[in-house]
Amino acid sequence: MKKNVIVACGGAVATSTVAAEKIRELLKREGIDADVSQYRVNELESKKDNADLIVTTARVTKDLGVPVIHGVAFISGIGVEKTEQQILDVLRK
Amino acid sequence: MAVIQYIVDLGASVMLPIVIFIIGLLLRQGVGKSLRSGITIGIGFIGIGLVVDLLNQNLGPAAQSMADNFNLGLSVVDLGWPGTAPMAWASSMGLIAIPIAIAVNIIMILLRMTKVVNVDIWNIWHMAFTGAIVYVATGNFALGIVGVIVHAIIAYKLGDMFGQVTDKYFGLEGIAIPHGTSSYMGVFATPINDLLDRIPGINKINIDGEKIEQKMGPFGEPTIIGAILGFIIGLLAGYEVGQALQLAIQMAAVMVLMPMVVKLIMQGLLPISDAAKKMLDKRFSGSNFRIGLDPALLLGDSQVISASLLFVPLTIVIAALVPGNQVLPFGDLATIGFFVAMAVAIHKGNLFRTLISGSVIMFVTIWISNQMINVQTKLGQNVGLVDAGDRVSSLDQAGSPITYLLTKGLSVEMGIGFSIILVVYVFCFWYTFRKYKKQTLYVEDDQE
Repeated sequence: MKKNVIVACGGAVATSTVAAEKIRELLKREGIDADVSQYRVNELESKKDNADLIVTTARVTKDLGVPVIHGVAFISGIGVEKTEQQILDVLRK
Repeated sequence: MAVIQYIVDLGASVMLPIVIFIIGLLLRQGVGKSLRSGITIGIGFIGIGLVVDLLNQNLGPAAQSMADNFNLGLSVVDLGWPGTAPMAWASSMGLIAIPIAIAVNIIMILLRMTKVVNVDIWNIWHMAFTGAIVYVATGNFALGIVGVIVHAIIAYKLGDMFGQVTDKYFGLEGIAIPHGTSSYMGVFATPINDLLDRIPGINKINIDGEKIEQKMGPFGEPTIIGAILGFIIGLLAGYEVGQALQLAIQMAAVMVLMPMVVKLIMQGLLPISDAAKKMLDKRFSGSNFRIGLDPALLLGDSQVISASLLFVPLTIVIAALVPGNQVLPFGDLATIGFFVAMAVAIHKGNLFRTLISGSVIMFVTIWISNQMINVQTKLGQNVGLVDAGDRVSSLDQAGSPITYLLTKGLSVEMGIGFSIILVVYVFCFWYTFRKYKKQTLYVEDDQE
C-alpha cells in the first residue's frame, strides 16, 4: 500500500524541501512507494489524519498520535543514517 | 557584454535558470540535473509572480477601500518573507551573495570571530535583500556588497550569542540559529526580560500557553487566517457579503499557494546548497563549531506556537496603532512565530513576557517596514514581481533594524527615526552581547 509521509517545517519552504528531497531519494532507493508532501508545522493538526509518518525539522513537543521523527539530521548532515533507519523502521512496520 | 545585458533584460525567470544551469555544470551535477534545477527555479519565479498578482490585485484594492472608509492607513500589503525572498534572489545581489556570505563566514572562523559554520544557504536571502535594498537606495553597487557583508557578520555573531539559548531552551546542541527575524529581533527580549524581573508583582506573573494551543489551534492555520482576514477586510472595504467571501477564498489560496511556489526556488538552489554544505562540512566540523541552521527549527515548540497564535490578531492591532503606518500585515502572519521564537526562549516560555517583548518587536518591525515601502516597491518593480502602480512591503526583511540602519546610514538619510532605532537597537544588541559574554543569557532555574 502506498504510504503517506508528511514533512513539515516552519514555512514549508526551505528546510522541509531539503528534508523532503532526501526522503524521496531514500524511499526510491529502498523501493518504498510513498507520497511525500510538505506543510507548515501549524498545519499538522489538520493534515495528520492520513499520514503514516511525520518528519519535522522543528522539534515538535506535542503528541500527534502519528509517529513523528525529528529530521534535523537532513539539514545539519549529522546522524543522517540513523534518521534514515528510523524512517524505514516506521514505514516497513 | 551585450549578451549578458540581453539575458538580464529577459528577467529573473530566464536569467536565474541560465545561471543555475551553469553553476550546476561547474559543480559537476551533470547536464540533466543542472537543467532541471535551473528550470525549476524559473518555474518558482513564474509561480510567485502569479501569487503576488493574486494578492495585489485583490487584497490591494480592498485594503485601499478599507483604509478610505475608516481613515486607517493600512493600504500597502505585506508580502511576507515568501514574497520577499524571491525578490532578493532575483536581484543583482541574489546569487553573488552566496559566495560572499560563505567567504565572510570562513574568514570569521579563521580569525576565531565565530564558531558558527553556516550551512543554511537559503537564508542568505536575508543578507542579499539587505544588499539589494542598499543598492536600490544608494544606486551604488559596491555599497550593496558592503550591506551583504555587514549583515552577514552580524548574523553569524547572533548565532554565537544565542547559542546558550538554543542549546538549553530548544535542546538544539551544536546548532546555531544565526538567521532571520528570530535572532535579530531576539535582542529586544533580553533587556525587557531583566526589566520585568525587577518589577515586584509583575515578575511573578507566568502564563503557560499550552491551553491556548488546544483551544485556538485551528485559527493559527494559514488557510483559516487567510480566509478570515480576507472576509473581514472585504466587509470593512464595504464589499457585499458575496464579494467578501470571494476575497476570503482568494486570500486563503494565497496562503496555501505561496509556500508551494516558493519551495521550487529552494529546490532549484539545492545543488548549490548541497555543494556548499559538503565543502564546509569537510573543512569545519567537530565540537568546536556550531552548525548554522534555519530558524524554522524553532517553530515546533508549544510555547512558540501559542505565542504565534496570539500574535496574528495582535500584529494587526499594533499595525493600526503605529503612527502613520500604511503596512497591512498579511504574508508574514502565517509564520509570525519567526519574530518571537527567540524571545519565547529568553523568557523561558513565559507567555506573559513574550506578549510584552513581542509587542515591542512587532511595533518596531512595522514602524520600520513602513519607512521602507518605497525602496522595497522599487526593488519589486526592478525584478518584475510588482506591477507599476502597486505598492508593497514586508515585515520580514524590510522591517529589520539591520537592513534599515544600513540602508538609511549608507544613503545618508539619517532623520529622527534613524537615530531612535540606532540607539535602541545598538543598546539591546550590546546588552545581549554582554550577557552572552558573561554566560548569563540563559541561566537554568534551580527549582520551578
